[in-house]
Amino acid sequence: MKEIAHGAVAIAKAKGASEVAVRAYRVRDVSVQWRDGKIEQINESTTRGVGLQLYVDGRYSAVSTSDLRPDALDVFIGDSVAMTRTLVVDPFRALPDPKLYAGQASVDLKLADPDYPTVTPETRRRLAREMEEASRSVPGAGAILSVTTGFSDTRAEMLRVTSNGFEGGRVDTSFWTSAQVTVKDADGRRPEDWSAAGVRFIGELPPVAEVGRDAAERALARIGSAKGDSTVLPMALDNRAAGRMVGALLGPLHGQVLQQKRSFLDGKLGTVVGSERLTLADDPLVVKGFASRLFDGEGLAARRMPVFDRGVLKTYFIDTYYGRKMGVEPTTAGSSNGAWALGDKPQAELLADMKDGILVTGFLGGNSNGTTGDFSFGVQGYRIRGGQIAEPIGEMNISGNQTDIWKRLAAVGNDPYSYSPGRTPTLVFDGVQFAGN
Amino acid sequence: MSLGPRGGIAYFSRFGVDEALIRHTLATALAHGGEYADLFFQHSVSNSFGLEDGEVNRAFASVELGVGVRVVRGDQTGYGFTEDLTREGLQAAARTAAAIADGPAREVPQRFHVSSGLPSRYQVRQRWEDVRPEQKLPILNEVNQRVFASDPRVRKVSIGFSDQASAILIADSTGRIVEDVQPMTSLYVSCVAEQNGKREAGGYNVAARSDIGYYNPDRISRVVKEAVERTVILFEAVPAPAGEMPVVLAAGSSGILLHEAIGHGMEADFNRKGVSIYADKIGKPIAKSFVNIVDEGTQEGARGAINVDDEGNVAGRTNLVQDGVLTTYLHDTISAKHYGVAPTGNGRRESYQYAPMPRMRSTYMLPGPHRREEIIASVKKGIYCSNFTNGQVQIGAGDFTFYVKNGYMIEDGKLTRPIKDVNIIGNGPKVLEKVDMVSDDLTIDEGGWTCGKDGQSVPVSQGMPTVRVASITVGGQATKG
Repeated sequence: MKEIAHGAVAIAKAKGASEVAVRAYRVRDVSVQWRDGKIEQINESTTRGVGLQLYVDGRYSAVSTSDLRPDALDVFIGDSVAMTRTLVVDPFRALPDPKLYAGQASVDLKLADPDYPTVTPETRRRLAREMEEASRSVPGAGAILSVTTGFSDTRAEMLRVTSNGFEGGRVDTSFWTSAQVTVKDADGRRPEDWSAAGVRFIGELPPVAEVGRDAAERALARIGSAKGDSTVLPMALDNRAAGRMVGALLGPLHGQVLQQKRSFLDGKLGTVVGSERLTLADDPLVVKGFASRLFDGEGLAARRMPVFDRGVLKTYFIDTYYGRKMGVEPTTAGSSNGAWALGDKPQAELLADMKDGILVTGFLGGNSNGTTGDFSFGVQGYRIRGGQIAEPIGEMNISGNQTDIWKRLAAVGNDPYSYSPGRTPTLVFDGVQFAGN
Repeated sequence: MSLGPRGGIAYFSRFGVDEALIRHTLATALAHGGEYADLFFQHSVSNSFGLEDGEVNRAFASVELGVGVRVVRGDQTGYGFTEDLTREGLQAAARTAAAIADGPAREVPQRFHVSSGLPSRYQVRQRWEDVRPEQKLPILNEVNQRVFASDPRVRKVSIGFSDQASAILIADSTGRIVEDVQPMTSLYVSCVAEQNGKREAGGYNVAARSDIGYYNPDRISRVVKEAVERTVILFEAVPAPAGEMPVVLAAGSSGILLHEAIGHGMEADFNRKGVSIYADKIGKPIAKSFVNIVDEGTQEGARGAINVDDEGNVAGRTNLVQDGVLTTYLHDTISAKHYGVAPTGNGRRESYQYAPMPRMRSTYMLPGPHRREEIIASVKKGIYCSNFTNGQVQIGAGDFTFYVKNGYMIEDGKLTRPIKDVNIIGNGPKVLEKVDMVSDDLTIDEGGWTCGKDGQSVPVSQGMPTVRVASITVGGQATKG
């Protein structure tokens, strides 16, 4: 990889690029999918390729190829440099200031499991099979129509090299188990739900039976779901679903949408966007985190940054190009792991406090308009009555505006969802518009 | 396709692919008794230009070269792929895929037959590799200037122009070799307008399996007009109501309802697994007798058109619903064998990195007996939906959604105030039952739709005549009163 990356830098310079950044990668993916007592599909591959950001006489392009035959790579880079010359000069394009490369945290992020090579096809099959058995062992399993489980593991290796002195690489591994269960409902519907767990180190996987049981219990709990009435109620957002809502808040914090005037958070730095409960940092230095890194996509040294502090917006995600366009210092090209100021209660206690409302466990479609903050999402979940989970609801929708909903954030759970980089806990909002009957 | 030293292989001979290499790889793939094996070679070249802040100041290019090896035993699949097209690279991928089976080796064909006489559904007079940047750049600049000139409220415009040529070669253990070169081009315009301190963003996009001639003056004018109109009308929009009500879907991209409400549920992999709400429903009435829904890959130049699918089967026309009755699932080779029917040419994949599965191509409803004016006039209070951004479905429960970017209130049979940004949610079979008026104005949308399933994206088309859904839940912000 080192050879390929440095080789590509040299070719680009020789073909006339004034500056160049190269990213070379190699990823090995293995997965087994198991369904109803036998293997459904096995996949195994090692993919590799190279991407280049070319700066040619003040002009810019980004290109990539998986055809690494030396002659082909030479022609591809030459053609790409020529294509770049047809563009208009863009004075804001430049590699990052090398001083921003300096100061990487001296922490071992522990992203690669040394035991990775020991995982065998037999292990993968056994784990997938055991997950199905666990799904079929729960009370009410007679209603199960189909169980699909999966085990997958990945080893990804990348190296970034730039012509202005950056060189940095990363190796990481991940292991995922997942189960999806479809059950029979009385009226011909076949509701489904899933569960999954992922880790950087295989030894830290939770027992696969937990994943299998969780998927089955979630699917069985969907039986008899019905549309509720259109109403305004408090909403608890299950930790594994809440990332969707948080994503709609973080997307508009990026440099491109700010500079292009398509962000409802433009001009809101330092102002109150959410309630006192909204305290969230971006933390790339979480040990074994799924989005952990010592340097970002441009090579900038990664650091923890507060994003919201008691509802006040503290930072934008600004890369080198849009930073230069906006006349501000870059922060980072993109968000990494979420680090919430957690509450002190688990979900069950939050529901007990809420008394009357709706627990949303999943989204279905919908969208959030980053320019205005208007959102409208399909949802499913459970009615909460007397602080307890009551009947399942589905085919409903929530809507509102991001600038309003985050001010309604009433409680934050103590249960960050560790299987996604967002690490979002259960969130409770007051006064949410639900549409149904 | 001429016969030559490579045994009739045209495009991929440049990468050293010949019959001997194919035979050798298939022999390894079938070494453990797989019933069927295929190789999917792909060489895809994509280019795009971007305009932002008034200038074409960025370009992107990518080359994907690789081969996927698949071995099938019953409903089971083994899959491996590699970017290394040498004998050794292919052997490694084939050994991986072969592991799905466990038995004595199967024989590999001694002779291969290159399929000829395939349909020709792509509008290519000039290949994209022969089109110079100087021919593309004026398109972006013209659109930018005309969008700004159309309305003084426009503050920002970004434009993307892309073209692609994807060459594929499928060789299978029945001795069949199929080659195809699939073009694609797309143009999107998005703009931000400002009025009294309020900002709104909107846009328009078009896509086709066509060449640069696609961008004729009519199309360019329409792209400019639609992008601006769809943006500035948002300033006048009022919040959509919340709750169940009649919904009229405009002709064109409303086909997204079919894609989500029935298309995915009719993909045969979900049905052979018993996880679709449409499992065991073939032959049963599902909608009014004037409802006919098809999925086809035959419309010349359409984004969802293909000569052959990614298993080498000619893509035809499939009737999902005929006269209101559920008729045919969308099949790939595995599901067709499972059900004992002929493949329908729906076996598609995102690239050589993925095994194929049943996917839609161009999905639409045929014209019906009503008139658009009559349909709108029939609604006392409801909404009219004209533009959409995205949708999703739960295959088994049947709940689906689609997101409406632009629409209108219907009050006393007339389109009145504009609405925006509202999600609509329903249940597939229940909503199809409630389609109670279908107009005669079928329109296939020209937009660049992309369908995602199990992590794989494929280009699709969709279309619809104006229809009325008697009642469906609108996810608006004001409870209906």
